[in-house]
Amino acid sequence: MEKKLKELEERRAKVLAGGGPKRVAAQHEKGKMTARERIEMLLDPGTFMELDAFVEHRATQLGMDKIDAPGEGVVTGYGLVNGRNVCVFAQDFTVIGGSLGEMHAAKICKVMDLAVKIGCPLVGINDSGGARIQEGVDALSGYGEIFYRNTLASGVIPQISVIMGPCAGGAVYSPALTDFVFMTEGTSNMFITGPQVIKAVTGEEVSAEDLGGARVHSEVSGVSHFSFPDEQSTIEAIRKLLSYLPQNNVEDPPVMDIGDDPNRTDDALADLMPDSPNKPYDVRDIITRIVDSADFFEVQPDYAKNIVTGFARLAGRSVGIIANQPKHLAGVLDINASDKATRFIRFCDSFNMPLLTLTDTAGYLPGVGQEHGGVIRHGAKLLYAYSEASVPKLTVILRKAYGGAYIAMCSRHLGADQVFAWPTAEIAVMGPEGAANIIFKKEIEESADPATMRKDKIEEYKRSFANPYMAAARGYVDDVIEPSHTRMRLCNALNTLLGKRQSTPSRKHGNIPV
Amino acid sequence: MKQYRITVNGKSYDVTVEELGVAKNAPAGSTVQASAAAPAPSAAPAAPVQPAAPANGGSIITVKAPMPGTVLSFKVIVGQQVKRGDVLLLLEAMKMENEIVAPQDGTVVALRIPASASVNTGDPLVDLA
Repeated sequence: MEKKLKELEERRAKVLAGGGPKRVAAQHEKGKMTARERIEMLLDPGTFMELDAFVEHRATQLGMDKIDAPGEGVVTGYGLVNGRNVCVFAQDFTVIGGSLGEMHAAKICKVMDLAVKIGCPLVGINDSGGARIQEGVDALSGYGEIFYRNTLASGVIPQISVIMGPCAGGAVYSPALTDFVFMTEGTSNMFITGPQVIKAVTGEEVSAEDLGGARVHSEVSGVSHFSFPDEQSTIEAIRKLLSYLPQNNVEDPPVMDIGDDPNRTDDALADLMPDSPNKPYDVRDIITRIVDSADFFEVQPDYAKNIVTGFARLAGRSVGIIANQPKHLAGVLDINASDKATRFIRFCDSFNMPLLTLTDTAGYLPGVGQEHGGVIRHGAKLLYAYSEASVPKLTVILRKAYGGAYIAMCSRHLGADQVFAWPTAEIAVMGPEGAANIIFKKEIEESADPATMRKDKIEEYKRSFANPYMAAARGYVDDVIEPSHTRMRLCNALNTLLGKRQSTPSRKHGNIPV
Repeated sequence: MKQYRITVNGKSYDVTVEELGVAKNAPAGSTVQASAAAPAPSAAPAAPVQPAAPANGGSIITVKAPMPGTVLSFKVIVGQQVKRGDVLLLLEAMKMENEIVAPQDGTVVALRIPASASVNTGDPLVDLA
C-alpha cells in the first residue's frame, strides 16, 4: 500500500508541476499566473476539486509519442464562488503552449457536460497557442465539440470566458459563443488571423495588441465585455459578476439585501436632469442613485457608450439595466448600441433577470454609414429582444422618447409591464422643431413674420405634445412620477411583478434578425 | 506660401503652408490649412504647423465627427495638453450639445475646422499627437 500511495503522490506532483519550474517562471515574468493559480484565486479557498488530472494524449505522429504533457495542458474541475458551485477549466500555457488536442478538448467537454448536468455556471480561462497541429483533425474535432456544447448550454447555464493569453484562430469562437468575455490588458489577444497572416495576405502591418488586444475588443469590436489591468482585478470582477446571476435558467437570481431602504426617496434626482433639453448628463449618475447602495456593475462600459448596460439590485433583487446615455452621441440608437443592448437583454431574459429601461434618446443616428451598415437589421434586434423577453419589464422615460426610438426602448407596446415617466418626459412622434416645420409649414410660410410664427408654433407643439401626458392619457404610461420617488416606485413594481407568468405560442425557436 | 520640413516619429514630411488671413474666415488661434506632400502611403493625413511638439512621441490621432452637426465651441487650444476623456469641443447634433472627448492623452496639434462649422460624420475635428 505504501508503495502505491507513493506512486500516486509522484504522479500527482508531476501533474501539479505543469510545464516545470522554468516555464512557470516564464509565465510569471509575463505578468501571468499559472492555470492553477488562476483557479485558486477564482474559487473560494480550498474548494477546488480537480477532474481528469491523469488524462494523457494518445497522439503518436510527428514526435508526439515522445512528448509528455502533464494534465494535457488544461486544468479542469469544480469548486465554490461565494459559496455556490462553479465549474471551471483553465488552459495551462506552460504545458506545450496550452495547445488544444483531442484529450485536452475531451477534458473541457467533460467539465462542460458536468456544469450543464448540475446546473451551475462555467468559467473557462483561455491561454493557448491554438490547435495542436500534430494532432491534425482530432484537434479540430475538439474545437467543434466545444462549440457544440457552448451552443447547447447557452441560456441554460451562465458561461463566462476569460482571455489571459493568446486566443487565436478557431479558439476565439468558444468565447464568442459564451455570455461574457473578460480580457486582461497587455497579455491577452483574440483574432481569427494573426498579424503575420494579415501581413502576408493584405500587406497591412499591425501589432497583436492593436489587432486584437483587450482595448480593441472592449472599445472597437465589442467582442469583449470587460477588460481589467491585471489578472487579479479580472478575477475579482468575475466573482462580482457571478454574485448577480442565478446558477441556471430555472433558478431565480440570488436575493442579497445590502441594506438600502426600498422606500428611500432622493430629491437630488430631479436636480440631475438639466433644465434645457439639449444639455447632456451622465445617466449613470441617475442609475446609481436609484439602485441599492449605488452599486452598478456596468457591462461593456467602453463599447457603444451611447447605451449603458449593466447589473444592479433593487430591494435586493438583481436587475439588468439598459439606459440611453445622453452624455455620449446624444444617447442615439445606432448599429452598435442596438447589438450591445440586444445581447444584454437576451442574457437577462434567459436567466430570469428583470429588465429596467431608462429612456432618454435623441432617436436613431442619421447617416449613410448607418443605413448601409444595416441599421434596419440591427435596430430590429432590439425590438425583437424586448418583445421576446418575458421577465418583468420596467421602463422609466426620463426625457426624450421620440418616434421609433420611443417604441424600441421597451415601451408599453413591446410588452413593458410598468411604464413610468418623469414630468420632463417628451413622448411624441418627433421633436418640436421638426414637427412644427412639417405640421405648420403653410402657416409659417404664409406668415408676415415667419421666424416668429415658427417660434410660436414650436411652443404650441411643445405645450401640446412634448410632455408625458398625451401618452398617459392613453394609458401607455402608467404614471407620471416625481423623480425623487423613482426608486420607491420601481422596488414596489418589481415586487408586484415577481409572480409574472407569460405564455407564448409554442415554437421551435424564433428567428431573430442577426 | 512657406515650405516646412517636419519630422514626426522619424518620418519627415514636406509641408506647404499658406496664410489665409482673417478675411478668409480663419479664426485667430485656429489651424492653418496644410497640404502634406506625404512620402509614404501610411503617412499621417496632415502635419502640424503649430510649434507644439508631439508629447508622447506617438503618431497623430485625428478625432473625427461621430455624427453630423455643428461645432459650438472648442474647449482646447493648439498646444494644450489633454488627458484621455477631456472635452475637446462641443458639437451640437441631434438637438444635443455633445461633448467630444480626447480618445487618449496627448497634445492638441491642430483644430481642423473653425468654430460654428457644420460637419458630417467622419470629418476631422482635432488632431492630437
